[in-house]
Amino acid sequence: MIGEISHFLAFSSSVIFIACFTLSFFTYFGRDRLSFFVPKIFVLGSITLIISFLLFVFLAVSDDFTMSYIASHSNSKLPVFYKITSIWSAHEGSLFLWVLIISLWGLFFLFFRNQESTNYYAQTIGIISLVVSCFLIFLLFVSSPFERILPFGVPDGADINPILQDPALAIHPPMLYLGYIGFIIPFAYVSAFLANGSFKDFPIVEIKSFILSSWIFLTLGIALGSWWAYYELGWGGYWFWDPVENVALMPWLTGTALLHTTYVSAKSKNLIAWTIFLSILVFTLSLFGTFIVRSGIIESVHSFASDPTRGLYLLGISAFLVFAPLVLFVKNLPRLLSINRIRDLSKEFFIGANNIFFITAVFIIFLGISYPLIIEAFSESRVSVGSPFYNKVFAPLTFLTAFFLVFSTYSKWSRNAKSLEILKSSSFLILVTTILSMITIFFIKKYEWWLIGGIFFSNLILIRYLILFIYSKFSKKYINKGSALAHVGFALLILSVSLNSALSTEKTTIMSVNDVVDFNEYQIKFDRVSIETSSNFESLSADFIFENGNSSFTLFPEKRRYFVRGEITTESAISIKPLKDIYITIGEQQSNGKWIVNIQENYFVRLIWFSAIIMSLGTILVIRQKIYV
Amino acid sequence: MKKNRKKRLFGVFLVVGTSSLGVGLILFALNSNLDYFLTPSELQTNDDNLVLSANRRVKLGGMVKKESFSINNNKVIFEVTDYENSIRVIYEGLLPDLFKEGKGIVVLGKYDDGIFYADEVLAKHDENYMPPSLEIN
Repeated sequence: MIGEISHFLAFSSSVIFIACFTLSFFTYFGRDRLSFFVPKIFVLGSITLIISFLLFVFLAVSDDFTMSYIASHSNSKLPVFYKITSIWSAHEGSLFLWVLIISLWGLFFLFFRNQESTNYYAQTIGIISLVVSCFLIFLLFVSSPFERILPFGVPDGADINPILQDPALAIHPPMLYLGYIGFIIPFAYVSAFLANGSFKDFPIVEIKSFILSSWIFLTLGIALGSWWAYYELGWGGYWFWDPVENVALMPWLTGTALLHTTYVSAKSKNLIAWTIFLSILVFTLSLFGTFIVRSGIIESVHSFASDPTRGLYLLGISAFLVFAPLVLFVKNLPRLLSINRIRDLSKEFFIGANNIFFITAVFIIFLGISYPLIIEAFSESRVSVGSPFYNKVFAPLTFLTAFFLVFSTYSKWSRNAKSLEILKSSSFLILVTTILSMITIFFIKKYEWWLIGGIFFSNLILIRYLILFIYSKFSKKYINKGSALAHVGFALLILSVSLNSALSTEKTTIMSVNDVVDFNEYQIKFDRVSIETSSNFESLSADFIFENGNSSFTLFPEKRRYFVRGEITTESAISIKPLKDIYITIGEQQSNGKWIVNIQENYFVRLIWFSAIIMSLGTILVIRQKIYV
Repeated sequence: MKKNRKKRLFGVFLVVGTSSLGVGLILFALNSNLDYFLTPSELQTNDDNLVLSANRRVKLGGMVKKESFSINNNKVIFEVTDYENSIRVIYEGLLPDLFKEGKGIVVLGKYDDGIFYADEVLAKHDENYMPPSLEIN
């Protein structure tokens, strides 16, 4: 019964959202009074949808295995937490969460916007309603989680995939979705702006905090996924340039570009057309990401349950939603292009330049994703684009971005600067950075171009902000702390990625119990294998004793077999040291009875995720600042 | 006016020039980093194909041949087979935890003179995984 109520409420909310959009549509034709009703109806629709979702959560928690979706993705033995997260462990439920989050962002927008002076808010809400309705219809008619197994259901559920039974991965999808979908606010706002057709003013600054907070969610969501992959998949890597990761990186990069140009558009009325284009693009890429992931069009190591027809629907929805704003954008482009030119070497100049690099990066990823599809369409060959391509192209792009970032700190808004002056005032910085980088390289004794670049440019940013910070302490000069912190996070990211690839070492070896191997400064003894049984899995646990002179510690990598699905997973064992992780996994037992053992020393890998947190913290500080025009 | 126009023309050339250079470089990098997916038989028979020039990265998919696995001086040696032909693979690095003789595997690397020098070994996180072209047969 509750399942039917939940289903019915979801259906009702779709009707309410369609009504909400229709009403908002009339506001474009001078029916301004309707603007009063649009938000009210939206809130009603959202409440209906939220109740529907909560009922579904209740069904999952109370083990209602007559619901086909819950029966195939949950299990009575799961802790309550994972019963809830099992809802977004597969397609239908994720989509339900997706729809819910769209309406939540609509509510955030209604309640956290500047209540007195937000333009187009009714129309923005109208467009959000349109997006919710499209996805709700898709949810209800193409991928419904509300189906019943009649008449009695099954005695117990089929369980959630064991590698997903993990706290980081349980909150990874909602976090990522909050990020992806948050960019609906700039999309809807800009669409409303374009549809209104009065281009005197472009008040994007009103929604700046929504752009920033979506960016934070997306950053943390990606970092969580990366962290999870590191310890759970047993490969010891944090980024694989896999298509599924790449489709998350594209909106992230575009979002980064957008939050910078938002400032340019707000401060100096420049790059307005570009900001509008980016607003449409970020959301398009978020939709494109869902399409890629859900359609199974691209082979990926992440195996999502995928279905081409779903992909087609999603592609249809995306195209439908993006079409009108794009047409309006192109039609009005001449009126949107700003008359005032960007001054040479002003802050706008550097931000604009870095925007080009961000979009180039997005273009490169897009090429890497779509090129294999094109080749497969025209020839028999199956191809894929590997990580060497991305590494090769991304390193120089990142360095260029870092370079322009540092010089932008010498520039001023809407003021010309002379390149000679910038060079003169930065000469001390460059000198110090060069010396420091040379010393670092000397100690590492590796002379790869990307390592030298990575160390130099990250140091450049770090030292520059250190100087700025000290300077502001003594001269009481204003420093934008949030922006400084976020950019320090960016520098730490470059530094940690470079050092991680330069210093980390790994070893594959084959061992029997009681064998001893040497690995860097450690002597590692394979002590014993034991079999333990837990409530929902049995595990084969191996003890490895690491000895290093007088200190020693033991790590216990495992192989687990989960009862319900018979799935085998690897549990890595990690010892966290100040600068590095010692990471060990065991593989399958080979025919001669020996075990393959993988051991890694991963330097600065924690710093990679930490830098994502630093960037997010900085951005949180920025949200709270006003933009002074 | 004339000077202004010249300046603008120069600017256009600069932008078009650098961006086409950039796109060219990217496409070049893309083309030289495409991984073609082949089975051992395809790899051995398609000698004239551009895919097989010695410094081209290839993805080789198949099964790990039974009793072909050994580790020597930190180098992993095994054979990948499609039950018709098999190719010896030499690899230095981490093996995926699902690596097992008789199971499906994908290796990335370069093929040179009958030996495959792998720089990446992948086993899909799925017990039923088969390389696509084996699945069809």
